[in-house]
Amino acid sequence: MAIITISRGSYSKGKEVAEKVAERLGYGCLSREVILEASDRYHIPEIKMIKAIHNAPTILERFNHSKQVFMAYYQSAFTQRVQKDNVIYHGLAGHLLLNEVPHVVKVRIIADLNDRIQSEMKRENITEQKAHDAILKDDEERRKWTQSLYGRDPWDSALYDLVIHIHKFTVADAVDYICQAAALEQFATTRESQQKMDDLTLVCQVKTALMESYPEISVTCEYGNVLVYTKAEEHIAHKLETKAKTLGQKIDGINHIEVHSRVPIPPNAI
Amino acid sequence: MQPLTTDMILVLCVIGIAIFLFVVEWVRVDVVAILIMVTLPLLHLVTPKEAFIGFSSNAVISIIAVIIIGAGLDKTGLINKLVAPILKIAGKSPSRIVTAISFAIAIISSFMQNIGAAALFLPAIQRISKTLKIPIGKLLMPIGFSAILGGTVTLVGSSPLILLNDLLAPFHLEPFGLFDVTPIGLALVVSGILCFVVLGRFILPQGAEETTKESAGSIEASPLKEIGDTFELSTPDDYTHYRDPIRIRDLRKRYLVNVVAITEPPDFKIISPASDTVIRAGAELLAYGFEKDVRRMAESEGMHLKKALGVFKNEVAEHTSGIVEAVVAPRSSLAGKTLREINLRGRYQVVPLAIYRQGETYRAQIDDFLLRVGDAIVIQGEWKKLQLLQHEGTLLFTTPVDVELLRPEKAVFAALWLSVALTMILVFKIQLSVCLMTGALGMVITRVLNIDEAYQSVDWRTIFLLAGLIPLGIATEKTGTAAWIAQSVLAATGQVQPIVLLTIIGVLSTLFTLVISNVGATVLLVPLVVNLAIAAHTDPRMAALVVGLATSNSFILPTHQVNALYMGPGRYRSVDFMKAGSLISIVFIVVMIGAIYVFYGV
Repeated sequence: MAIITISRGSYSKGKEVAEKVAERLGYGCLSREVILEASDRYHIPEIKMIKAIHNAPTILERFNHSKQVFMAYYQSAFTQRVQKDNVIYHGLAGHLLLNEVPHVVKVRIIADLNDRIQSEMKRENITEQKAHDAILKDDEERRKWTQSLYGRDPWDSALYDLVIHIHKFTVADAVDYICQAAALEQFATTRESQQKMDDLTLVCQVKTALMESYPEISVTCEYGNVLVYTKAEEHIAHKLETKAKTLGQKIDGINHIEVHSRVPIPPNAI
Repeated sequence: MQPLTTDMILVLCVIGIAIFLFVVEWVRVDVVAILIMVTLPLLHLVTPKEAFIGFSSNAVISIIAVIIIGAGLDKTGLINKLVAPILKIAGKSPSRIVTAISFAIAIISSFMQNIGAAALFLPAIQRISKTLKIPIGKLLMPIGFSAILGGTVTLVGSSPLILLNDLLAPFHLEPFGLFDVTPIGLALVVSGILCFVVLGRFILPQGAEETTKESAGSIEASPLKEIGDTFELSTPDDYTHYRDPIRIRDLRKRYLVNVVAITEPPDFKIISPASDTVIRAGAELLAYGFEKDVRRMAESEGMHLKKALGVFKNEVAEHTSGIVEAVVAPRSSLAGKTLREINLRGRYQVVPLAIYRQGETYRAQIDDFLLRVGDAIVIQGEWKKLQLLQHEGTLLFTTPVDVELLRPEKAVFAALWLSVALTMILVFKIQLSVCLMTGALGMVITRVLNIDEAYQSVDWRTIFLLAGLIPLGIATEKTGTAAWIAQSVLAATGQVQPIVLLTIIGVLSTLFTLVISNVGATVLLVPLVVNLAIAAHTDPRMAALVVGLATSNSFILPTHQVNALYMGPGRYRSVDFMKAGSLISIVFIVVMIGAIYVFYGV
């Protein structure tokens, strides 16, 4: 079985597709629940969380790291939810996180711009020009955010296994294709791929635990061996090391944890 | 009978103090020996020349030479070859090993000086102890005692028995044949070994385990603790089916396990394989790591973790490879580079296992670590390869790498000089010390070992202990103390059964041999007991034989050469000898008298 992520813009019918796929395959369907869970778990007001996840960081926010901290909370909640497999996710900012996990079907749903403008006009009761501007602004915001977080453009089709344009294809067609893809052998969960997912979950947990005090860290994990990378000064790295060691007992699944300072950070670090 | 003189009283006092100090161990036994050596001339009991005559004695020089010969044999790996068949027969059980070696040493020492046999076996026993991780204290004492007991099996086994016929000649008594003592001697050897097999756990020191570890493994203790242990694993035949290729690098990343050797099926061994080597089906792996990590790897990768080392036993043997700690030296060209750039695996075929920096141990992904001056790298590899790395000079080795570099190519010379020495002893009957020193010198000249190694191999504790006791024997004889004691004791016994008389003679000889040399005791006692036996209508030959045998009954104090030799390496204390030795001494007398009764019908 697999994890399906659906990346979508507003009014692109992605949500509808996701819910129908979930229904047909008997998978769980996740979106806003993750935000609720994260805000609940880490005691952050939901509205702050949504803002942090939805909007690209402002200049000021780039300095105080609060957004990154919220994001780490969110990612931690997200990975823990999808770790259990058989789930469809169509929320924000989660897709690229699972890039390295083999049993993830990465889907991008796009819709015709005119259709989207019509939907926006109908729902918000506004003029065509305003709806057009609002949709483009929303797309731009999401693009900037993904750029700042992962350095990738969400409109780059190379990031996905499947890109479906809902226009001539109907929602039902899209559901068919996605279900077909999810049944393929190459997306089946194996021991190795599940291990990757578990490692990723662990990375997010460790990062969340350390992020508040040490925002500028990157974490990798392979088979439970966690490595925390920092560019901080020696004495700070030393404190970080002490704190990291205590996590070994707190978080399940950590086999070994080390802090490496001032070494090249591998590209797959989070 | 002589009156008791002041000198005799002084000698008795010195003996008393010496025994007291042996027991309480306020100072080490060899220091007690030096104390005796100095006190006796100060009290005018021996001349200054006699005080130090021990250093030039046959026994002491023989020991020095035989230790050097033993070291030479060990250096060339001959000892390993000698040990292998013994281990094959004996397996891994300590009591079977003790039994096997004890019998071997007893047979050898029945034809040559027991100190020679004991010294030749010492390196072998030390090696067995290290290989099988048996505390050396559990091996040395039983084997040493067997070497002494073996001296009673033939008439040429020990000095007192060699002398015996000469001492009987003035009395016109029939001389003993070479094998006349054999049944008694064998009974003694068997009963001695039996005592240790049955009662070993009660009479041998139990605390020896820690101290042996300390002495044997202290070099490696610290790095080993941090990076785990050695394990051997094998992959099943279907290992590569249905999975992506797994490389050595992957195992390291996933489980923090370092593969340091691997076989290429069918049986080609690759030492320090490159990190992108693919693990194949049906391969054997030698890995370093913590047991929990290795177990985790075996379980999730479907490998078979072996209970003991098999295929790679020789590769991890202490004399071929090991683990060292090396520090990045100031101004070293390695500072600022990563281990990946330095490529130790590729260039030197050694495996970096961990890095220590400021009290932290780093084991994961150390390849990307930027090295700094003062970083310590834990490296595993063959000694040869490690030495090459050391010569490059960029790393300062904090552990010596030339610990035990064997020179198997010199084995022929080592064997040759051993046989030269043995031929000189057995065929040409030249004095033992001369023969053995010839062998030792030959080994040095043919570069089996260099002279510094020869000096280092000699255990000076043993030398001073033996040399210091020799003047005590001289003083005891010269002042007439020994004769006075013997006469007093025998006079006090009066008319008794022959068997009782022989027992008393046995006990007396045992006590004498603890303090004065066994030859001295024999020379002194034989004429006395022969006369006494004739007077008491007991067989005088048997009385002399009891003296000749019982002067080998020297187990209670570490004063016998063999005991002195084994005391240092075995980390024994005088108390250990008293505990085990008392039992063996009593068994010795009982068995000896019993055997004489059975075989000679006294």
